Amino acid sequence: MPTFKLDDREIPFEPGDTIIRAAHRVGIDIPHYCWHPGLSVAANCRMCLVEIMPPPGRPALMLDVLSWDAEKGEYVPQKKPKLQPACQFGAADGLVVKSGTSEHVIKARSAVQELLLLNHPVDCPICDQAGECRLQDYWLEHQAKKKRMRDEPVHKPKGVVFGPTIVYDAERCIVCTRCVRVSEELAKDPVLSVRERGNLNEIVVAPGRELDHKYTLMTEYVCPVGALTAVDFRFKARVWFLRSARTVCTGCATGCNSFTDFDPRNQKVYRYRPRENELVNKYWMCDDGMLEHRRIHEGRVLTARVRGENTTREAALEKAADFLRGKEPSSIGVVLSPEHSQEDNLALVWLAREVLGTTQVFVGGRPEGTGDDILINADKNANSAGVAEFVDLIALRSFSEFEATVAGGKLDVVVSLGSAVPHDTQAPGKVRALVSLVTHEGPWSKAGAVVLPASSWAESDGTFVNARGLAQESEKAISPQGDSRPAWRLVAELARALGRAPSWRRVEDVRGSVTKAARTSSVPAPSAGANG
Amino acid sequence: MRHFFQNTKEMAFGMRNDPNLEAIEDGVNTISYPEQRRPYPARFRGVHRLTHREDGSPRCVACLCCSTACPAQCIHIEASEYPVGDKRRGYERFPARFVIDELRCVFCGFCVEACPCDAIRMDTGIHAPPYDSREQFIYEKDLLMGFAGRDGSQASANPRHEPGEASHPGVDRERQH
Ligand code: SF4
Ligand code: SF4
Ligand code: SF4
Ligand code: SF4
Ligand code: FES
Repeated sequence: MPTFKLDDREIPFEPGDTIIRAAHRVGIDIPHYCWHPGLSVAANCRMCLVEIMPPPGRPALMLDVLSWDAEKGEYVPQKKPKLQPACQFGAADGLVVKSGTSEHVIKARSAVQELLLLNHPVDCPICDQAGECRLQDYWLEHQAKKKRMRDEPVHKPKGVVFGPTIVYDAERCIVCTRCVRVSEELAKDPVLSVRERGNLNEIVVAPGRELDHKYTLMTEYVCPVGALTAVDFRFKARVWFLRSARTVCTGCATGCNSFTDFDPRNQKVYRYRPRENELVNKYWMCDDGMLEHRRIHEGRVLTARVRGENTTREAALEKAADFLRGKEPSSIGVVLSPEHSQEDNLALVWLAREVLGTTQVFVGGRPEGTGDDILINADKNANSAGVAEFVDLIALRSFSEFEATVAGGKLDVVVSLGSAVPHDTQAPGKVRALVSLVTHEGPWSKAGAVVLPASSWAESDGTFVNARGLAQESEKAISPQGDSRPAWRLVAELARALGRAPSWRRVEDVRGSVTKAARTSSVPAPSAGANG
Repeated sequence: MRHFFQNTKEMAFGMRNDPNLEAIEDGVNTISYPEQRRPYPARFRGVHRLTHREDGSPRCVACLCCSTACPAQCIHIEASEYPVGDKRRGYERFPARFVIDELRCVFCGFCVEACPCDAIRMDTGIHAPPYDSREQFIYEKDLLMGFAGRDGSQASANPRHEPGEASHPGVDRERQH
């Protein structure tokens, strides 16, 4: 592989790489605002300037500049090398590049930083970006000087509503055009553009339009400063209190890798952020997925219920065991849910096969939605492919067959997992004794004679197999809310109440049996890096 | 021994050290605290106060910098958004609750240092009073806003550039450039 030299390190690169991309790949961060690994090169912020050394024996390209001489008290003519933007300059074999070791680069960074902050409002105390803002970080790293300009900065509109999800503050904007490029290149909807020039420029929405495509939150996500804020997140939390779990989005079968940001003190999830994975979602997530986090706290079932009355989990489990005891195996139905992880479903398959002895196993899930050819899959279940894999262990039947079997009066007791049904149906209500393991209110929780509160995806570890057959692990973020427990644990407790303790006690044990039972492929560890 | 006689003499004759002059006298001089108090230096850190804006609302924008910096973790803030229709709505937050546990506070002054808005100060000159129950040390927002500095002022030295002012860009695009 060809290499070039960046400061003291040899950096390998692939043909076509720019200096910044090759450095980024080996984990060296050249300061930058406008470059994003998932977007085209704009080279407008000038933060990434580096010094390219001339080939041996050739003179460097020098510029004549005037620089302030404090001793003489006047400007004196000087020469300085012409710096190049690392985000645009192609890597070449044997190139010698100086970044942090060049005094000219260090000066240039400080100057760029000073320019960007000239008219900046420094709203940090009221800015939601504070704590993860490039202006703050780079100011400390590369400038760390007081402002010299005494004039009133240029004022521009603040709090401009761009659409249902995004609010824009023109004063904070550094016009890096990342948001413009996300709309154009990722969402294929060029609804944002720049107007005016110099320190009057700002981002505007196309006349007559709103910023309302399916990837609006990605504009906020790539914004390196606090100019774009998400209506969903703004004013809700200070980012330095949040911790992140590496999770998988459960909004659809694509299974985008995400970070779940939560406050450990109040055990509340505040937002998702995309997590880089070249194989699945690259750098992005869709708006619906980004807002899925709300469902972790909204519409949840957090206490056990028997015939509509709240009760303890133990009492509800006892009641459920009562229903199941001594029943003819063929009169017991089990409904799996592709909303839930492999572990939850496998536990239920085990219950059906080893404890209940039934072969009446059906698959439920959320209804089909719409997809696109960017990320969104029409299948709104995160684990359809995973549940389908259990066909090796037990015959799986569709939800329509479930409806037909219930209508035929063949099922006395049903144990169901999941909160949604694939289409409008009366079937859950027609089951004589329904034991439903639910996370959210819905048809199953309404119809359940016994309702057991299951933890959501954010409250337990789990494996989800996406539409392309990739098994991905999602980490637990917060503790189970209310009286809820992971569904696989509820199944274990139910089995225990029926006198059959399972051999697994931890999620790893269940997962171990998943690996044995079903085909899994592994996902390469995604590299770190907050927003590119 | 000298002090013993001096103190006994003062007790007997009801004479007391001048708390101002004793400081410049040689040796150890005893004053009768708490009836007598030495004057606090100008930068003495007393109990906290929250400064005001011109309209009397708290200068604090609920950025949580103070509670982050506080080593005793004794500042509790519940942030809230201004109601619909308020000119500061969609622009900044305010503390719906602002509580300091003055018993847990170690009077380090980090909160004052951390505040980017000059919203919290410790220049009241008030010594933390002794109470007989823990609840009494919990100072709520209204109480904290009721204190004035030793110069009697309640205003923030870092006034807010308020939406609606002539030089303010406003929260929307009404003001064209
Ligand atoms: S964008 Fe960054 S520097 Fe500007 S106000 Fe927000 S946090 Fe502060
Ligand atoms: S809004 Fe943010 S992403 Fe868009 S140009 Fe301004 S600073 Fe860049
Ligand atoms: S003085 Fe120190 S301990 Fe007391 S509230 Fe402020 S930061 Fe906390
Ligand atoms: S007192 Fe100051 S530091 Fe504390 S929340 Fe209010 S504005 Fe922020
Ligand atoms: S990152 Fe290279 S010019 Fe902006």
